[in-house]
Amino acid sequence: MARKQTPLRPYFEKMTRIGKQLSEAEVKRGTKNLEAIREQEALIEAEETRVAEAGIPAERVRSRGSMTIYDRLDYMVDAGTWQPLHSLYNPTENEEGCTGVVGGLGKIEGRWAVIIGFDNKVMAGAWIAGQAENILMITDLAKRLNIPLVWLTNCSGVKLMEQETVYAGRRSSGAPFFRHAELNKLGIPILNAIYGTNPAGGGYQGISPTILLAHEGANIAVGGAGIVGGMNPKGEIDEEGARALIEGTKSFKGSPPGRVETHFDATAYFREVHETEEGVLDGIKDYMRMMPAYDPAMFRVAEPAQPKYPLEDINLILPANQKRPYDAMQILARLTDNSEFMEYRPDYGPEVYTGIAKIDGFPVAVIGNNQGIIADYPDYANGEYPGVGGKHYRQGLIKQSEFVSLCGRDNLPIIWLQDTTGIDVGDAAEEAELLALGQSLVYSIEQTDISMMCVVLRKGQAAAHYIMCGPQANNSNAFTLGTPLTEICVMHGETAAAASYARRLVKEDEEGRDFMPVVDKMNQMIDDYREKSEPAYGAKMGFVDEIVCLDQLRGYMEAFAGANYQNPKSITPVHQMLLPRAIKG
Amino acid sequence: MSTDVTAPMSGNIYEISVSVGDDVKAEDELLILEAMKMENPIYAPVDGKVIEIKVAVDDAVEANDVLVILE
Repeated sequence: MARKQTPLRPYFEKMTRIGKQLSEAEVKRGTKNLEAIREQEALIEAEETRVAEAGIPAERVRSRGSMTIYDRLDYMVDAGTWQPLHSLYNPTENEEGCTGVVGGLGKIEGRWAVIIGFDNKVMAGAWIAGQAENILMITDLAKRLNIPLVWLTNCSGVKLMEQETVYAGRRSSGAPFFRHAELNKLGIPILNAIYGTNPAGGGYQGISPTILLAHEGANIAVGGAGIVGGMNPKGEIDEEGARALIEGTKSFKGSPPGRVETHFDATAYFREVHETEEGVLDGIKDYMRMMPAYDPAMFRVAEPAQPKYPLEDINLILPANQKRPYDAMQILARLTDNSEFMEYRPDYGPEVYTGIAKIDGFPVAVIGNNQGIIADYPDYANGEYPGVGGKHYRQGLIKQSEFVSLCGRDNLPIIWLQDTTGIDVGDAAEEAELLALGQSLVYSIEQTDISMMCVVLRKGQAAAHYIMCGPQANNSNAFTLGTPLTEICVMHGETAAAASYARRLVKEDEEGRDFMPVVDKMNQMIDDYREKSEPAYGAKMGFVDEIVCLDQLRGYMEAFAGANYQNPKSITPVHQMLLPRAIKG
Repeated sequence: MSTDVTAPMSGNIYEISVSVGDDVKAEDELLILEAMKMENPIYAPVDGKVIEIKVAVDDAVEANDVLVILE
């Protein structure tokens, strides 16, 4: 009888158990914390509802016999796998309240895909400001994870009244067509379900993917019927012109160009045409079953297992009060399989932890900030000040760089759990080479061609937000999540106010003037920092790709790990991995 | 038998969460020590009764100073 096992079993089957159950006192203290978190969650949820209800009512779309983008996603994506991204993204604060596309990661027929579709409730899926950037982030994700991109196209083209916000420029709405070409060039397929009228930009949106499936009422074209009828401009509209336009529009009986009669029957661009909207999605499912994907057993190092402690505990552990420390291992114990973690160099660089964990049975690397005061550290401070968790010092920076480089060698995707206030400053820190070591970590990340995801658990501040694989790591960072407690800003508002106005205060005081007006300005600045560091603001501006409830983080981690191992571009045989051996010694 | 709860580092007392006579359980928060811009909770190391609080809010303390005595 054959005997089977997972690879490198002595290292991965049972790793070091971390965490412990919360005590009665911790649960009691956490209750107040939970209230603060729920308050933020309610704000985020209200924003998400507002975005989901943007445009015309869903019922009006359904009354026309159509499905909304959300109906289409519900029908197509495997239940329980949808991990939305960019839900609140709207950096130019469009009047539509969104960027008109809905995207995320999800499984279709058991395979991970990056999925995006036009919100057909919002101006019939028009190009609006911020949309191109949203699409570019999504195409970046498909490229990073090397998994199929699935489009639900329903795009009416440029919102003509605001063409200057979308049409021109390096990262404008034309850029996604080049990204589609790039994905095709890289061998990453793009499946396209096409609905409705898709003229001009919508036409290229329709034609640029790899496989085109259409609804019977769909069309894609270089230009729409309105353009065809209006290509005789005089330079201005006078009364005569307006009357001609009225008559012309009333009597216009033409059909839009690029219908299925043309692009199925004549050109055969469309592989399939379906009578029902669901039929098109069934076609996408059929194609997804054809996509290359390793069975997870190929890369799993153990059976998938849930953490030993409840995910909901994280709401009780992670303090809403940003000045309060916590035990980072207690958080990690609620995210990793079996609450296990194989830590790399725990006695070196104690302000950060680095190590290997399992997520859904897949090996992943985790890097995060420890919290609290660290006595007798950093050594270069010679006892003048203690180390503080959340800050970075020499050893921690060296450890992270080493670890990232080894992860590259072992092809371990990295999950970063940021809660950082910065890198140590001052002459001693400069002599300790922290400036160069911070940039060295950036170099290690860039040099290491592996996927990384970042969670900004609470604080993401100063250069430390960058060096811990924040979204600025364009080629490595697949996506960045925020939480209800995320606060992203260059520095704390009080620190910034002091830095900006300290000299002014001195001047006013020395010259015998009332300095309280300056104090008022400082407090205004602090309030402004607070407002613009909040989770919803960060999600709207794209500081993070999504705000996620703390007890939903693991779902994204499972999606990240599973998608990463679905079709990796490079493979390290598990039995040839170095890091587990380096950790064991 | 009494147990001294000491300051793990120098700092200022930010908040006192218990009163003399209170019964506390291990890991209950006794006070908050502010140091390095962080509010560091000091927890009861064992179950007991607070018999003396040797500091007041805003007091500056040094590492190893006795803060609270439990019985």
